[in-house]
Order: sequence, then structure tokens, then C-alpha cells
Amino acid sequence: MTKRPINNLKLGIFVLVGLLLLIFSLYMIGRDNNLFGKNYKLTARFENVQGLTVGNNVRYAGIQVGTVKKIRILNDTLIEVAMLIDVKMKQYIHKNDIVSMSTDGLMGNRILNITASKDGSLLAEDGDLLATKKNISTDEMLETLDKTNRNIAVISEELKTTVLRINSSAAIWKLLNETELPDNLRASVLSIRHATGRADEMVKDLHSIIADVKNGKGSLGAILTDTAIARNLEEALLKIQQVGDHATALVDELSKLTAGIKEDINSGNGTAHALLKDSALVIKLNNSLSNIEKGTDGFNQNMEALKHNFLLRGYFRKLEKQKRKQ
Amino acid sequence: MALSHTWQQFLDETGDISRFTRRFFLQGFKPRYEIAELLRQCYIIGYKSLPLVGLTGFIMGLVLTMQLRPSLISYGAESELPAMVGIAIVREIGPVITALIFAGKIGSSIGAELGSMKVTEQIDAMEVSGTNPFKYLVVTRVLAATLMLPVLVILGDAISLYGSYLGVNIRGITSFSLFFQQVFDALSFSDFFPALIKSYFFGFAVGIIGCYKGFNSSKGTEGVGRSANSAVVVSSVLIFIIDLLAVQITDILGFN
Amino acid sequence: MTTAPIIEQRSIPVVSTDSVIEIEHLYKTFGDNTVLADFSLVLRKGENVAVLGKSGSGKSVLIKCIIGLMRADKGSIRLLGQDIDNLDHQELDEIRSRVGFLFQSNALYDSMTVRENLEFPLRRHWIKMTSAEQDAKVLEVLSNVGLAHAVDMMPAELSGGMRKRIALARTLILDPEIIFYDEPTTGLDPITGKGISKLIREMGEKYNTSALIISHDMNCIRMTADRIIMLIDGTCYAQGSYEELKLNNDPKVKQFFE
Repeated sequence: MTKRPINNLKLGIFVLVGLLLLIFSLYMIGRDNNLFGKNYKLTARFENVQGLTVGNNVRYAGIQVGTVKKIRILNDTLIEVAMLIDVKMKQYIHKNDIVSMSTDGLMGNRILNITASKDGSLLAEDGDLLATKKNISTDEMLETLDKTNRNIAVISEELKTTVLRINSSAAIWKLLNETELPDNLRASVLSIRHATGRADEMVKDLHSIIADVKNGKGSLGAILTDTAIARNLEEALLKIQQVGDHATALVDELSKLTAGIKEDINSGNGTAHALLKDSALVIKLNNSLSNIEKGTDGFNQNMEALKHNFLLRGYFRKLEKQKRKQ
Repeated sequence: MALSHTWQQFLDETGDISRFTRRFFLQGFKPRYEIAELLRQCYIIGYKSLPLVGLTGFIMGLVLTMQLRPSLISYGAESELPAMVGIAIVREIGPVITALIFAGKIGSSIGAELGSMKVTEQIDAMEVSGTNPFKYLVVTRVLAATLMLPVLVILGDAISLYGSYLGVNIRGITSFSLFFQQVFDALSFSDFFPALIKSYFFGFAVGIIGCYKGFNSSKGTEGVGRSANSAVVVSSVLIFIIDLLAVQITDILGFN
Repeated sequence: MTTAPIIEQRSIPVVSTDSVIEIEHLYKTFGDNTVLADFSLVLRKGENVAVLGKSGSGKSVLIKCIIGLMRADKGSIRLLGQDIDNLDHQELDEIRSRVGFLFQSNALYDSMTVRENLEFPLRRHWIKMTSAEQDAKVLEVLSNVGLAHAVDMMPAELSGGMRKRIALARTLILDPEIIFYDEPTTGLDPITGKGISKLIREMGEKYNTSALIISHDMNCIRMTADRIIMLIDGTCYAQGSYEELKLNNDPKVKQFFE
């Protein structure tokens, strides 16, 4: 009889520990199932729930916030999923938040993810229907990935050949290493601008002379009755104009060319290389530029000679006087 | 002829056990209640079985974990080990192993104790002493077995899971709280309750069979040994039959 | 100490007011084995009667039928004036509390101490005893059988003779009117057996009980019984005092005295 109380004590401890473990594990399991705690209900509609079942977890930004309560087929293309969400999340989940489906780990259970919309809509109320995002199934994802992979393969193949060709081309390297060419180009362009500027001035001058001559001003009128001179002059002027036009076109083309070269060099395009491969062209360019220079120089001399011509000397003096008066 | 004889015996015994069970329900819930003896039996049947159940549970958890690891590794799902072992232990291994150990220890001891009481006329003496031996011996033991086995299962599960935690840590490293979290994340009520409920039935089966065999022990020490032995055999088989029924019932009810 | 008169074989006992057990025409069979066939017996108040018979002759069955542990096939048993077949569980329990039963195997509860064993019969719900009274009663009966020191021992720690004494003490604890002794000296050495026989006699006088002793031990029977009934072939074959039966020339009776 004396040992009875001790036995009862031990039995009591034994049963109590068992009960505590029972209660504890029930709590631990129930924590996920939201049996112990206040919840509110949200719903979402999917075309396909992909094996989602009652009791699956719902996460908000990756945090466990609730479970799937009920799955109901509305019609042949729409399934409504009711979720029980912890009431504490009520201040975070908005009406415009998006529900999507994913998998817990690679092979884990289905889960629902609520993603914040960040558009500052109202907070979601009990029973609200949230928008859903069509879920990318693993199959679809893999299919897309496959396509992407193939494209990447093609692109990288082409890239490879391009790079190889660039690497093997001596000319483009030479061009790239050339330090004089940009200087020359700059100088040429400056000269062209200079020349065209002068040409323009001269054409203006000629224009006013011709106008004056046409009006038969001064002693020039008599001279200009000589039609042969007039025709010569006209031809000369036409030629000068043509030279100026050519020079403008040339400048345009040059600027295009330089832009093209710049672009081609930057993008490493094959055409640039093809163009620049021809180093003879560069030389020709230089030549034509110096020719133009020479041409405009010659023209300047012609004009100077014309000023000193006895026929036109008086006219030019008069022009100078007018300039001085002004 | 021989076959029909064994069949007849089998059916006879089944009928007897059913009547014995009926008697339990008729007498068990009428006064007077043998509370003190019930507590004493709970102590003997429950508390005293804990070391054995704990040891087997611990080893089972450890071994199961180590055995499952290679195949999970080959699936690349090693991290699922705690969840898998947890479910296996809580749903099946825990209740069944505990119940089998319980049948071995308690079934045989009840069978032998009541058998020897029967043989040495203690049961008669009890009846003459104005105590209903069925209530005093059978009802208390069956109730104690029924109530204590679930407690043992819960404790055994816990110890098993601890063993499994050590098993995981032999080859890998996991913190206790992570292991714990993974196990409980994997578990749901539908894993837990059928297992708990069926362990009540296991306990009842072990108690009632042990008592039946002891109470109907034949004269002589050989009879005592035989009743202890057949108590273990029959209750172990019964445990598996109940387990089969339980899984079918939970399947029908949709808890699987 | 009165010597009972010789009653004719198979005579129907005279129903007297002071008889505590009356058995009439009792039959009991186990399968094909007839154990009791038309057995009749009367036990008077204060009388010590021995039932003598070979092993397996149905002596134990007889007392188990009387106490209600077994049910006879046919015949009537009146115990303390009541027909035990007509008693419900409660009434049978009350009758039993006025009767002691010393089992052949002592039937001490192995899981309990001597004290708990002796207190067990006191658990009856109508017995309202304080624990002090219980302790006093336990010590009283234990000192009567000379084992007061063994009160907190377990039955397994006791010798065969001591266990028998404890068992006797347990039968005495409710001050019974009748005590049934089932083979009280079986399994004991002659000296211990003699001690037990002596104790049975002493206790019978001290507690003023009637006794029905079942035995095949002639020494025990000679020491304890006033009257001997010979249970042969399931029936009351002969009866009388030890000396009378010793002089009987019937070979079936004679074989017990050889």
C-alpha cells in the first residue's frame, strides 16, 4: 500500500507527458491548418488548379498566411478556390493583389502565392475575389526554354563566325590602328568647307557683276555687247557652280561615309569591313580632295586675273568704292 | 475432417471472444468501478512499458531514416527525409510497432497472470471474496490497455522522431528546429487522427485477447504458458487485421 | 465434539433447523465423466465433516457447487438455509461472506502483500471499516495463525506451510459460519500438514465454525473431522466416525485405511 502514491505520481507524469505531446503536436499540425486562430476568406478563380487540394498552403510574399479551404467547380473552364487567410494579414492584402499557383520546391506540394500589386488599391475584405495570373506550368516553361535555347544556339553560332572573321581581317585592324586617317579626314573636310565658302562668295560676286552687265551699267555695257565674252563668262560661271555643287555632294557623302565608318566600326558590321578593306579608296579620296582644293585654288587665281583684266578693272574698282561707302 | 475440426475450433473461439467482449461492455460500465485497480494496471501496463516502447521506437526511427536515405538520395530528394520518416512513423510504424511490442509484453503478461490466477484458483477465491473477478481483473486490464497504448504510441512516436533526427544527423547536418519544422509541415490531422484512433483499438485488442486467453486458461502450468503464447499470437494478428481495416476505413472516408 | 450417529447409506438426511448445508440428490457430469451421482449431505451447525475420496472423485467439484462457483446438473443445495440456485448475484455474495473457503492451492493473490491479501475480502461494499479497524482485524487473524510478522511480505516469499496459514487467516477474517477446506494438507510435508490440521481444529473452536473438509489425507481427517463421508463413485458410499469406518469391511472403504 505504501508504494501506491509513488506509482500514481509516475503514472500521472506518464499520462500528462503523453497528453502534452498530443496537444502540442495537434497545435503544431493545426497551426498550418488555421484551426486555432481567426481567419477570413478570400477567393480566386482558375482555369486549372493543377492538383491543388484542400489544405494546401497559401503564401503572401513567401510567408505562410493561410490554407486552401474549398475547391469548387463553377463551370467547365472555371474553378473557384476559397482560401482561409490569417486575419493578421488583412492589413497587407489588397484587392488588386494577384493569386498564382506554384509548387513548394521542385517536387513539393502545390501552393498558392498572393503577389502584391503595388498599385495602392483598397485592402481586400472578407469574401473578396482576387485576380489570378495564368500559371506557367513546368511543361510550358520547359517548352519556351527549349525554344530560347535553340535561338541562343543560332545567335551564338553567328556571333562566333563574325568574331572570327573580324579577327582574321587584317584591313579592319589596320583601319582601326590608323591614326592619320581621322586627321586627314578632318583636314579635308575643313578645306572643303573653306573652299565651298569661298566659291559661294565668288558666285555671289559674279551674280551681281552679271546683273550689272545685263543692265549695261557704265562702260561695261559696251564691252558686253561682245557676246563671245559673255558666253565665255556664262560657261565659266556654270562650271564654277557645278564645282560648288560637286563639292557639296562630296562633303555630304564624306560625312555619310565617316558616320558609316563610325557605325560600322562600332557595330563591327561586315559591310564596313568590306568597304574599308579597300585601302585604295582612301587614297583616291585623298586625291580627289586635293584635286578639289587645287580646283578651287585655280578658280581663285582665275577670278583674281579677271579682276585685273582691263575690261573689268573699272567695274571692280566701282564695287570697291561702293563697299567703302557703305 | 481435420480441417473442419480446426475450422470449428476457430469459429468456436471467435464466438467465445465475441461473447467475452460483450461481457466486457455489459459489465465494464456498470458500478462498481475498480478505480484503484485500474490506476494500478495503468501504471503497470502503461508506465512500465515505456522503456521498452521507447527503445524500440528510437531504434526504429533511426534505422528507418538510415534505410530511406540512399533511395531518397538517388531521387535527389534527401531534404524530404524528415517529412517522409515523420509521415511513416506517425501514420504506420509508430502505432503498429508500439502495438506489437505492447502485445508481446502486455498481452503475454496478462495472459500468463490471469492464466496462473485461474490455475491457482485465485479467480475463484476472488469470486468467493465478493469481488467480481471479471470487473476486477478483466475490465481494469482491458481499459488500462486501451487507454495506455495511445499514450505509449504518442511517446513512442516522439522518441522515434528523435531517433530519426539523430539518423539524419549521422550523414548530414540539420538543426533540430529545422527537422522538427519539416516533420510538422508534412503532417496533417488526417495523418495523426486515424493513427491515434486505431491505436485505441490495438490496445483494446491486446487487452481483451490477453484477458480472454488468461481467463480461459486450462489447468496446469502448461495451460498458463499456452495462454500467454496464444495471447501474443492472436493479438498480433488482430493488430494487423485492425490496421488493414483502419486503412480501408480512412481511405473510404477520404483521409488518405 | 459429539459423535454423529451412523446414518444408513443413501438415507435422506433429516432436515433440521440447525443444519447449515443440505445437499439432496446432486448430479454433476463433465462430458462423459460422471462426477457426482445422487449425492446427499447434511452439515449441522458446529459440526466438522470430512469428505473422503480419491483424487478426481469429484470432491472439489462438490464444494465448488455448494459455494456457487459451479452449477450442478440436478439436485438442490441449501446453504445457510437458502437455495443457492435461486439467488441473484447480490444475495449469493452476501451468503458467501458468511462462508470461508480455503483453496487447495491457497489462491493467495501473488501481486499483493499479505496485508492486501487479507484486506481483499473486506472490500465488500457493505462492510464499512476504518483502516484502523482493518489493520487491527488483519493483525488479529494473523497472530491467530502465528504469522503476525509476515504482514508486509509477498506470498512468493513464504513457505508452503506459511502460505496455507495465511490463506486460512484470510478465510477467517470475515468470521465465517462455515469454512470449506479443499485438500488443506496436500502438498505439505507430514509435519507441516499436522500443524495445519491442528490449526484448523483450533480455529474451528475459536471462531465457532462448522467445517466441510475435503481430503484424502487420513491423518488430517482423523485430526479435524467429527464425521467422515466416503465419496465413492459419485455418491455418499459410507459415513461415520474415523473409528467406525476403520472397522468397515467394505473393500472400497477399507482401501483408504491401508
